[in-house]
Amino acid sequence: MAHDDHSAHHVNYLAVFAALCIFTGLSVLFDVLSFENRMITIVLVLAIAVAKAMSVMMFFMHLKFEGNWKFVLLAPTTILAIGLPIALLPDIGVKYYTTLAPQDGVWGAEMEELDAAHHGGGEHSKSEDAHAAPADDHKAPEADAHKA
Amino acid sequence: MGIPIPNSKLGLWLFLGTEIMFFTAFIGSYIVLRIGSRGWPTDPHDTHINVFLGGLNTFVLIVSSYFVVVAHEAMAQKQFDKARKYLIYTLGLACLFLCIKGAEYNGKFANDILPGRIPETPGQAISKVDRQLEEVVRERFAVYTDAKLVEVPEANDLSTVNAQLDIFSKSDKGEPAQRENAAADVVLFGKWQNLHQHIVANVSLVEVPEATGPQYLAARAALAEGDSLPPLAYSEVETFLAGLKADKTYAASVSGIFDMHPVLYGNLFASIYFLMTGFHAIHVLVGMGLFIWALMQGSKMDDRWTNWVENSGLYWHFVDLVWIFLFPLLYII
Repeated sequence: MAHDDHSAHHVNYLAVFAALCIFTGLSVLFDVLSFENRMITIVLVLAIAVAKAMSVMMFFMHLKFEGNWKFVLLAPTTILAIGLPIALLPDIGVKYYTTLAPQDGVWGAEMEELDAAHHGGGEHSKSEDAHAAPADDHKAPEADAHKA
Repeated sequence: MGIPIPNSKLGLWLFLGTEIMFFTAFIGSYIVLRIGSRGWPTDPHDTHINVFLGGLNTFVLIVSSYFVVVAHEAMAQKQFDKARKYLIYTLGLACLFLCIKGAEYNGKFANDILPGRIPETPGQAISKVDRQLEEVVRERFAVYTDAKLVEVPEANDLSTVNAQLDIFSKSDKGEPAQRENAAADVVLFGKWQNLHQHIVANVSLVEVPEATGPQYLAARAALAEGDSLPPLAYSEVETFLAGLKADKTYAASVSGIFDMHPVLYGNLFASIYFLMTGFHAIHVLVGMGLFIWALMQGSKMDDRWTNWVENSGLYWHFVDLVWIFLFPLLYII
């Protein structure tokens, strides 16, 4: 029955399509704007992704007009899908023990040398420039000592 | 009674239920690993992520999703020619998506942004240059051992091949050009060996030009108690590699060696990027197969194919849906 009056629900697909395009443009815009707080970007682009996903599911996939079977079918998979990250989070995501990645130990000292070598190259981001500045302060007296 | 939808559609929705779990397993693992990781490469200069190509691909999939909906509407209204036209558009856009994806992958391959191949520290970057240069020498030497210009019991033993090659280059055997090349390759082997020994000993390339031999021993002997030789620096190896690439004799052989570019946590990023976008691309291929199958029916694609078009359309929307989440997760965050 529900299937028969499918065509009765006329959806303006073009409007849904336009909304999806605007959403995509917005998420690129939020990336280009690059807010001071990274969390704002993350929340905004994920909210847009959810809005886009809902539009596709509701209108393109006709879920808005389907019977209640959609809940029976989709609720278990959704619960399991959400359950997996939650189950993994305590062990890997939240570190209650010390993780020592080998690349962490050597990175600090070697990286300072790399920054010093590339200083002024301008190919790295602000955070590294911030590191490079104090490194210069250390270098200066040493250089003087060598001259003397 | 039962559920008021065709069996095929119920089956497809059940399949999509498993697909949701399939992709959320990846997305969930990515989120968990990302939260757990102490850092993440986000600089496009490191990751070669192109947000505009990703955004363009999002747009391409959205347009194709719209076309598939129009195709299904046309099927329901028995306008089969219109449906066929829009299915062809969808197929074309799917091809375009894969082409853009291919261009992006190409940018990664060209910079060796591949899981397990990214140096994460300057030290690893130095070792990678060493390994690649060894590979170049191995390839150069294979030319002579394969052509039997030099006779060695073990072609893998580079030092022996080098010694034989040295003798060959000074002999009157073979063509003069071959002898000249052999002499150049002997020098290249020497350069690689020198770099390798500097890495093993962790001694500066510039301040201690020879890592073995009398010069090195003299430098060591001159050390005061408690002093050590200056260590090998990242920039020295960088200069060494640049010099090798600028040298006309070796430019062609060493052009394949990747420039040094350590990316912290780059391998974790590359694994996740290729796993998720790769599986998504496989889904795109499957969707294209479904459309091609319907289109292959030609004018026989009539009423009986309405369910097929609807179901492949549902599947296609799901592929779009996955990309809607992958785009912000991989390209923006």
